[in-house]
Amino acid sequence: MPDIRLSVNGEAIEESAEARLTLADLLRERLHLTATHLGCEQGVCGACTVLVDGVPVRSCIRFAAACDGQAVQSLEGLEHDPVMEALRAAFTRHHALQCGYCTPGMLIMARDVVLRLPDADPARIRLEMSGNLCRCTGYLGIIEAIHAVILARRG
Amino acid sequence: MKPAPFTYHRAASLEQAVALLAQGGGDTAVLSGGQSLGPMMNLRAARPSQLVDIGRLEALRGISVAEGHVRIGALSTHAAIEDGAVSGPLGRVLARVAAGIAYRAVRNAGTIGGSLAHADPAADWPAALLALDARIHLRGPGGDRAVAIDAFLAGAFETAKAADEVIVAVDVPALGPTARFGYVKFCRKPGEFAEALGAVLYDPGSAQARVVVGATGSRARRLPAAEAGLAAGLSPAAADIAALLAPVLGNPSALVLKRQTAAVHRALQEVLTDA
Amino acid sequence: MSHKGIGASIPRKEDERFLKGRGEYVGDLFRPGLLEVAFVRSPHAHARILGITRPIKGIVYTAADLAAVPPIRAQINLPGYRATEQPILADRKVLFVGQSVAMCLAKSRALAEDLSEEVGVDYEELPPVLDVADALRPDAPRLHEDRPDNLLSVLNAEAPIDAIAAAAPVHVTRHYTNARQAMAPLEGRAILAEWNDRADQLVVHVGHQNPHVFRAALAIALNLEERRIRIIAPDIGGGFGYKAPAYPEEIAVCWAAMKLHRPVRWIEDRFEHLTAGASAREISGTVHAHADAEGRILALDVDFAVNIGAYSFWPHTGAFEAVQAIGIIPGPYRIRHYRARSKTVLTNKPPQTPYRAVARPAACFMMELTIDAVARAVGKEPHEVRALNLVSAAEMPYASITGKLYDSGDYPASLRSALSAIDLPAWRLKQAAPRADGRAIGVGIAMYTEHTGISTNTFGTMGIALMPGYEQANARLTPDGDIEVAMGVQNHGQGMETTMAQVASEVLGIDPGRVRLLHGDTGLTPYSTGTYASRAMVMNGGAVAAACERLAERMRPLAAHLMQCAAHEVGFSGGRATGPGGATVGFGEIGRLWYKTPNELPPGVDPAGLDVTAGYRPEDDRGAFSYSTHVAVVAVDRDFGSVEILDYVVADDCGTRVNPMIVDGQVLGGTAQGIGTALYEECLFDASGQPKSVTLADYILPGPTEIPAIRLLPTETPSPKTRFGIKGVGEGGAIAPAPALLNAINDALRADGVELGAAPATPDRILAAIEIARGARAGAAP
Repeated sequence: MPDIRLSVNGEAIEESAEARLTLADLLRERLHLTATHLGCEQGVCGACTVLVDGVPVRSCIRFAAACDGQAVQSLEGLEHDPVMEALRAAFTRHHALQCGYCTPGMLIMARDVVLRLPDADPARIRLEMSGNLCRCTGYLGIIEAIHAVILARRG
Repeated sequence: MKPAPFTYHRAASLEQAVALLAQGGGDTAVLSGGQSLGPMMNLRAARPSQLVDIGRLEALRGISVAEGHVRIGALSTHAAIEDGAVSGPLGRVLARVAAGIAYRAVRNAGTIGGSLAHADPAADWPAALLALDARIHLRGPGGDRAVAIDAFLAGAFETAKAADEVIVAVDVPALGPTARFGYVKFCRKPGEFAEALGAVLYDPGSAQARVVVGATGSRARRLPAAEAGLAAGLSPAAADIAALLAPVLGNPSALVLKRQTAAVHRALQEVLTDA
Repeated sequence: MSHKGIGASIPRKEDERFLKGRGEYVGDLFRPGLLEVAFVRSPHAHARILGITRPIKGIVYTAADLAAVPPIRAQINLPGYRATEQPILADRKVLFVGQSVAMCLAKSRALAEDLSEEVGVDYEELPPVLDVADALRPDAPRLHEDRPDNLLSVLNAEAPIDAIAAAAPVHVTRHYTNARQAMAPLEGRAILAEWNDRADQLVVHVGHQNPHVFRAALAIALNLEERRIRIIAPDIGGGFGYKAPAYPEEIAVCWAAMKLHRPVRWIEDRFEHLTAGASAREISGTVHAHADAEGRILALDVDFAVNIGAYSFWPHTGAFEAVQAIGIIPGPYRIRHYRARSKTVLTNKPPQTPYRAVARPAACFMMELTIDAVARAVGKEPHEVRALNLVSAAEMPYASITGKLYDSGDYPASLRSALSAIDLPAWRLKQAAPRADGRAIGVGIAMYTEHTGISTNTFGTMGIALMPGYEQANARLTPDGDIEVAMGVQNHGQGMETTMAQVASEVLGIDPGRVRLLHGDTGLTPYSTGTYASRAMVMNGGAVAAACERLAERMRPLAAHLMQCAAHEVGFSGGRATGPGGATVGFGEIGRLWYKTPNELPPGVDPAGLDVTAGYRPEDDRGAFSYSTHVAVVAVDRDFGSVEILDYVVADDCGTRVNPMIVDGQVLGGTAQGIGTALYEECLFDASGQPKSVTLADYILPGPTEIPAIRLLPTETPSPKTRFGIKGVGEGGAIAPAPALLNAINDALRADGVELGAAPATPDRILAAIEIARGARAGAAP
């Protein structure tokens, strides 16, 4: 059982865990940080997307032990992030969520798109978000919300 | 589903990684980005008893330019390459290939070395790097060796890499000023593995031509006859490509042949019209 | 206060918790001593169980342990139907890959899965029957050995149409298939069951659309009085019908929680969903349309089969798909001679259960592709043939040949609106011009009318276990002057925490932000059959209005007392009670008066107080019919067989829209799922019945690049039958995309001689059709 030391949402965490514990299960089952959702555990749906050392990764196919020493941010840790605040407001305005299950992963990925691609148009946003599945909305509100935040930041 | 139990070792050095692999026997797996291994282990379709994590090895990192080629560390992520870690015309080609692999969150973790070692027959890097004439650097108990990619790719999920070897880096020849790259991948949606793939490198300046078909169900293959024609600046007809592909693909169905022909044909069109 | 009641696109009240990752799904609940479940599932599609070997250590249960739990048995009063018996854990036989054979419990899911690998099951493999034709062969292996054959039910609507059909100048016959799908909500099924001694109750947190119905199922299964069961459905990550039936796994989990007196949890994972839960849409059929030379359909003759899988589900039964399809196949068209015959067939696949719009996508598929076939036969534009056959606004209300009463609407106007938005003439020009990319352009139309808010009248004759009737809601004023509404439906993405508050706002003039909705909890809400069949807004919306009106009646004398006016002079607006001369009094004052200073109350007030349950059922509850026209423009790559959607418009009418933004979201989301049905989603099985699409890499759900920016053209034709004129909308979007897109693909490939009748139109199907048509032309050439 390796001891894992990492930072989660800015807090130093030490856990003993079986090697097979995934980062998603570390967050959810050990730390009870349940914003990170499991939709497939096959690395496809994107519901489990979190930031590791600042970039979005799939927490369902990443072993917690392999994150030793890294900085993990889940949606809980981004509550006061200004981009996330703008995205939350845009998601609600554009009706970009229904059941809410894909939403945390969508937001984490959307934030990355907003910061990384300040010139993205809706077609590019669609491509960049293609690894995040939503079964409820038909995506239009999600794409419009992200685009609105990008446009607002352009000023 | 959750993975079956295993033990985890983070290699502190390349030497230690190789030693762990040599001791570990057949059911030890190398963990790099884990983007292919992770899902398979979650499904318990892969159940290694031991994982050797090479993800922190500095020796496998970095991108450097040398005489005539670029050396790409095996741990370079698809995302880093997508974002232009390799400069110049070759960098743009590699960035285009990288950007089409899976999804950004997967590209942030998945590595070029991991993709080559996994050798999924439908993956991008094996076909693209075959067209680009890459060389793979391996480290094993006996030391270092370099293998041309044509010799490295052996079959579906099979390579010339021994179980106790680790991919260290990939050398990709620099592209000349007149080089053009054609790349056509057909898949059901972005991020899906390819169902047809044509990759073409053509440099009219040096008369260099490499024509590759990927997503074959086995390893990516060159089409020498098409290369000879292309080197002469000829644009083969779709029917001719189909005739070349049929034996390479091993008695393909009409649908597969049609798609692969279109992928290769369109990749050829791209280098021939993209003046 | 600006108007936030019915008709206002206010943002959703429920969004904030989801946007902060604070939704509460079953998987987010933890308990000390919790045991997690992994099921041992059948690796065979059809096999006899010869024996089961348990591991030496660990908690493992098999059918022998659950001997006291009866099998799931669903009844419906239809001739030719015989119920199946589905054991909670397979006992003598397994009938599909993924059927649960044993349950394993451990401290973590990983450990439970380890344990499940130690359970040995000895099987004798039997030949599987996977498709309808195989299952109906006289010598076919029988799934259920107590039955004479593999038929679950036969349902026919007979009519003497042969003479009219024979006399018609135009005859069209087509065969259609719709593949099996998975519903694939992002969250799988999920349950946490525990016994609460203080309440003397089994408390079950479960992702279920119909908590009260699930309670009834558990009461039967566990032989437990309903008062001793409390079902709480917290946040749910999508339902779409998948979380409406009673399944064996949930019953097994509850049984184990009682047996062990410990909390027990099971979360269905994606692999389980795509194997054991592969369960919707598999219907095939043949349509004979007989038309006049103009394209008027004179008679329609349909014969279809539902591949229902291994068992008939509780409560609506596997026969329900055929009932739905037969009733609605004629769609929005004036068809006066109609015959339909159906067989619902048992096969070695997972039990098929209702998915968003149940069998109506297949019904619409058969009708709408047939309309296009008739148009080809008479040499007209498909929209011209539709216009010729559509029921007109002047004919409303219109009694369909199947006995449905289309209550209101203007179907031809819907068609005109969608066509005008798509600009058909412009596309016809582009279609004729050669394209640089060589792709073929096509335009396709599909229309439907959808029976929503179906109620006792419709279900009443069927004799199913639980029929919907009157819907109730409870409304009360809190002591500080806000409103709490309790309702028996469950909100899992439909926005009902907002829309029901808007209904309350409409009645009581209070800001929706001051209305709290309680739902999804049998301990706190009035009985309801739940959220399904596009009924919640129609039925529960009416109930919330009724409860708020009754509450207003109770508040009125108190407000009158405070304002020193007559009760009949009291109104409600701006969150206050209003009286003559501009007098107002806040709800908080009314609450204070009733709850805190009853000594100030006037004599003669109703002692029942400010807490009212009231109910609703439309006087004529034959349903409210939403309707829609979908038009798709596609480009088809003839080499790859791929389809790109270039434009997609939906002209949709669901009566009065309580929250247009939310209605649009329902239509967009339904349409996206329909696009999955049309082009991507298919549960594939090999010849031995092994599922082949067991990951989301193999079972393709459309993503942001597959769903276009759908353009919506909403209209509102209020239903004359329902409160506020509301019609249901939850399911509709999913109905028409497959026929619209198939018609568009066929339009694009018309020159190739291609006419596809199978969904999804995958690249393989499209390429194969092109090749077959090419071969046929070559063969026909002199």
